[in-house]
Amino acid sequence: MNARVERLKERLKMEEYPICVEKPRLIIEAYRQAEGEPAIVRRAKATAHYLDNKTIFIEDDELIVGNVASKPMGLEAGSLGPTWPKEDIEDLRKAGLALSDEDEAVLRSMDDYWKGKGRTLDERQGQFYDDERLWPFIKSGILCPPWKKKDEGRGQGAAGVGWGLGLGLALIVVDYAKVINEGLNKIIKDAEEELRNLRYTDADKIKKGDFLKSVIIALSAIVRIAERFGDLAANMASKEKDTTRKKELERIAETCRWVPGNPARTFYEALQSFWFIWIMIASGTTPGGRFDQFMYPFYKKDKEEGRITDDDVLELLECLRIKVMQYNFVGGGKLQRDKWAGMARWNNWMIGGVTPEGEDATNELSYLILEAAKDCQTPHHTITVRVHEGTPEALMLKALEVVKTGTGMPAFIGDKSYIEYLVGQGVPLHEARDYALAGCLDVNIPGKSRIHAFGMFITTRVFEITMNNGFDPRLGVQLGPKTGEFEKFKTFDDFMQAFKEQLKYFMGLTVEEHNILLMAQTQLFPDAVHSALMVDAIKVGRDALDRTLPFENGSALNLVGMINVADSMAAVKKLVFDEKKVTKKELKAALAANWEGNGYGEIRKLCLAAPKYGNGDPFVDSIAKELYQFWADTAGTFTSAWGGTVKPTGISITAHAPGGALTGATPDGRYAGETLADGTISAAQGKDTHGPTAVLRSAMTINQIPFQATLLNMKFHPSALASEEDLRKLSLLIRTYFSQGGKHVQFNVVQKKMLVDAQQQPEKHRDLIVRVAGYSAYFVALGKPVQDEIIGRTEYAGM
Amino acid sequence: MTGGADTKGVIFNIQHYSIHDGPGIRTTVFLKGCPLRCFWCQNPESQTLEPVIFLNTERCTGCGRCVDVCPERAIQIIEGKSQTDRNLCKGTGKCAEVCPNEARSLMGRTVTAREVFDDINQDAIFYHNSGGGITLSGGDPVAQPDFSISILKLCRDAGIHTAIETCGFARWGILQRILTYVDLVLYDFKHMDSAKHEEYAGVPNDIILENAKKIYHELRLPLLARVPVISGYNDSSENLKKTAAFIANDLGTDIKVHLLPYHRLGETKYERMEEPEKAVSIQPPDDSKMEEIKKIFESNGLTVQIGG
Repeated sequence: MNARVERLKERLKMEEYPICVEKPRLIIEAYRQAEGEPAIVRRAKATAHYLDNKTIFIEDDELIVGNVASKPMGLEAGSLGPTWPKEDIEDLRKAGLALSDEDEAVLRSMDDYWKGKGRTLDERQGQFYDDERLWPFIKSGILCPPWKKKDEGRGQGAAGVGWGLGLGLALIVVDYAKVINEGLNKIIKDAEEELRNLRYTDADKIKKGDFLKSVIIALSAIVRIAERFGDLAANMASKEKDTTRKKELERIAETCRWVPGNPARTFYEALQSFWFIWIMIASGTTPGGRFDQFMYPFYKKDKEEGRITDDDVLELLECLRIKVMQYNFVGGGKLQRDKWAGMARWNNWMIGGVTPEGEDATNELSYLILEAAKDCQTPHHTITVRVHEGTPEALMLKALEVVKTGTGMPAFIGDKSYIEYLVGQGVPLHEARDYALAGCLDVNIPGKSRIHAFGMFITTRVFEITMNNGFDPRLGVQLGPKTGEFEKFKTFDDFMQAFKEQLKYFMGLTVEEHNILLMAQTQLFPDAVHSALMVDAIKVGRDALDRTLPFENGSALNLVGMINVADSMAAVKKLVFDEKKVTKKELKAALAANWEGNGYGEIRKLCLAAPKYGNGDPFVDSIAKELYQFWADTAGTFTSAWGGTVKPTGISITAHAPGGALTGATPDGRYAGETLADGTISAAQGKDTHGPTAVLRSAMTINQIPFQATLLNMKFHPSALASEEDLRKLSLLIRTYFSQGGKHVQFNVVQKKMLVDAQQQPEKHRDLIVRVAGYSAYFVALGKPVQDEIIGRTEYAGM
Repeated sequence: MTGGADTKGVIFNIQHYSIHDGPGIRTTVFLKGCPLRCFWCQNPESQTLEPVIFLNTERCTGCGRCVDVCPERAIQIIEGKSQTDRNLCKGTGKCAEVCPNEARSLMGRTVTAREVFDDINQDAIFYHNSGGGITLSGGDPVAQPDFSISILKLCRDAGIHTAIETCGFARWGILQRILTYVDLVLYDFKHMDSAKHEEYAGVPNDIILENAKKIYHELRLPLLARVPVISGYNDSSENLKKTAAFIANDLGTDIKVHLLPYHRLGETKYERMEEPEKAVSIQPPDDSKMEEIKKIFESNGLTVQIGG
């Protein structure tokens, strides 16, 4: 990092993050003024009102400008619903968020606008939740987290959505290239022309009229706020004594007066244009798209014409990392916040992969983006490397060098599996090759699709309900169909069949929940800004949530804990049905007693010793394969309210912890409340004891192609990534996995904290391998003095 | 039949994704039994051919279940902890099976070459993609020659690259038979002074050095030299210079050298074998010392890597 970036990075360190109330105040003000107008127009006007009146500033050293909130490092409180209840606000304050009593009162005074008027997602959804069927399901936590009240959803309150009003929960990779290459003025002009030629001959044309007007209102306001930044910079330049900074400010002034209204002419302008549009659409999950692709022409031209050096580019990319770090997000009730582990967010930048023509897409920027992440280590934005057969080994090594630093990025994904999936869904090959991820792993075609994968379906809850003939021991009600008493199943297949029947029933309820949610968003969150950046937006003339997109994956069924189900099924098959070492009655009683008393500990031991996924053992891997295939096939039988079929996916984020908390003891030997397997393709914690190749063999057993995403976490001690030779071997491990249909893998390079944890809770870390010289050992098998030494050494190595 | 797939042997671990025991992604099979008794041995549980019980006293609650199941009546509870009479123990592993606290575990199990191969072969795709294969280690593969040959043959037939890690202390005939099925030899050099070698490792080094020359000059097999660096025992500059000179002059400078700094992972193992009196406490060499040693080898024209 150069001195500027270091100073900027230093300023990211905050004791407290201020929650700001400027945005909700302005938005509500505008909403009230535009009462009665069509929702899309009203929201466009509110967006414009906020942008025109927003407090703006440029901080020292900044090269890319555009402050997120009204205070540095602040989070603007949400403008989509009421604020947090009192106790949540106290909780947030303890977690380092600052909100004055005065501002809390301002927020509270606005609750009235929202409450009891059907204006929030929760209220709108709650209206559909009948007491007999849907409401018990919503309360059950099969979809995690459970609701407590029909009008309060999973907890209210949010802060940190960017400058726009957003699309609710939908994730989209918008067409960044269009804004950068053509400029917003072009889109505005197109909209104006379309509007002039529009004839109101049917209902769609009326809708289109509102849409086009909204686009013009919202996009013009973005151009205006950029110009305000330009004026501010010019003003600051005129007063600046330092000649270097004066020049920088003059350049900022010139840039912001030009983009994003006009086509960017240089790399610098393209980056500033990107930032304006990114922060306009920013939510907790706003992706960066194929950043090394759409930015490359500007880089190349500047380099060729001698306007920029790689050091300049690196500095700018690091400034962008800082900028993304200034954007924070916190949302939902306590359980929701737990599920998303604090201020987690998924601002995912793609690099590498193939071009639409199928050639390797890696370029100099791909490397510089990695270098920026290595040099300026911040948790966001994250990076994902698309890997295909022709990915240069140099890119893999560079990426693994960054992994080695322990920042947990980049992740790696397999082009083969993703592209095959898309082509299988009917996407033309050249478009499929241009995919980018939204969120952490969800596949999107920029400007041509959207995803919605938030429903975390806790499959272990359904397993437990199956064991109880459809009765939910947690809620104490008959929640699912009666599929048979566990004690009376004659064969393992009968039991498996019962589970599948329950699963299908609850997947159906989930799809209903999703459809209600999707339509609630369509009604409540039309957004001209996103919508204008979708394919053929002006011609189609409809909101992004009110049209069927070329690749429609708006609704996804997201499984969590299925590996625990597979391990549990394997234990039941082996111990109860095959070997008859444990009776059904005993097992059920042991689970109900959470393995305590009556010699149930012995049964648990047998269960723990049963085959576990993640060791390349066909006995259990074949069960996992069957379950995942059933999930994929069943998802495809449902249709989404946004069009197309429902897509299977597997990204647990951190729902495995709260999901586990809701589930009783399971036959894989898990205690009630214990966390579930992380990811969806990873083994249960500490259960993979045969090394990384065995984990991958298990993972390769599962047909991942039909899934729109899967997630595999692996952890390594730094000594396994010490030399370049080690990195090459790891690269080959990744490539082999992807050649067999693997979708994703990310590496956790072991930190001291994990080793200490492994020492205290060895049962959770049996898979942790440490290597010293030619010798490898399971960390938990070592004596304490040796463990202490390795802990010391890891720290010494600075990892 | 010698060298058949049903040949039985004793192993104590199969380690997949071994990346420091030869080229590519490998699986290392740790065989029991070793002709040497290096007192700094990191894997003392590997020395005998028979399986051996590990006891982690920290975990033992003295519940006594092991006492009841031991066919040799080798276990007693003393002051709330189990103790094993190692003269009686035959390593049946009954105690480990019943121990509820995982305080007792059996190091070593008897398997057929076919079973080992089936385990190895599961990773075939990784070997093929990375230029990897298998490495027989131990103990020392020379302690179970027929079993080693059986595994190596099966791998060879399946097109899997084979390596062995050996101390080289074996009759030439035996070693030669094993090496027929080996693509790469990782060869240990512990001390150049034969008397010192005998003092520290239990046997003189003449056969070892002779065998190294035969492997290199007669069999012309690729060799990789491994030199453990044990502070105060074999790290004198005189010994290291001699070692480097032997590798460079008596063998050849095309041999890559791996310097393996001593580490303390094995030091607690003697306690687990209830032989604390054998435990050593040796300071691992620091990085600057390793760099100095590296230079000695490099000055002989050798390519050197610190660590395996």
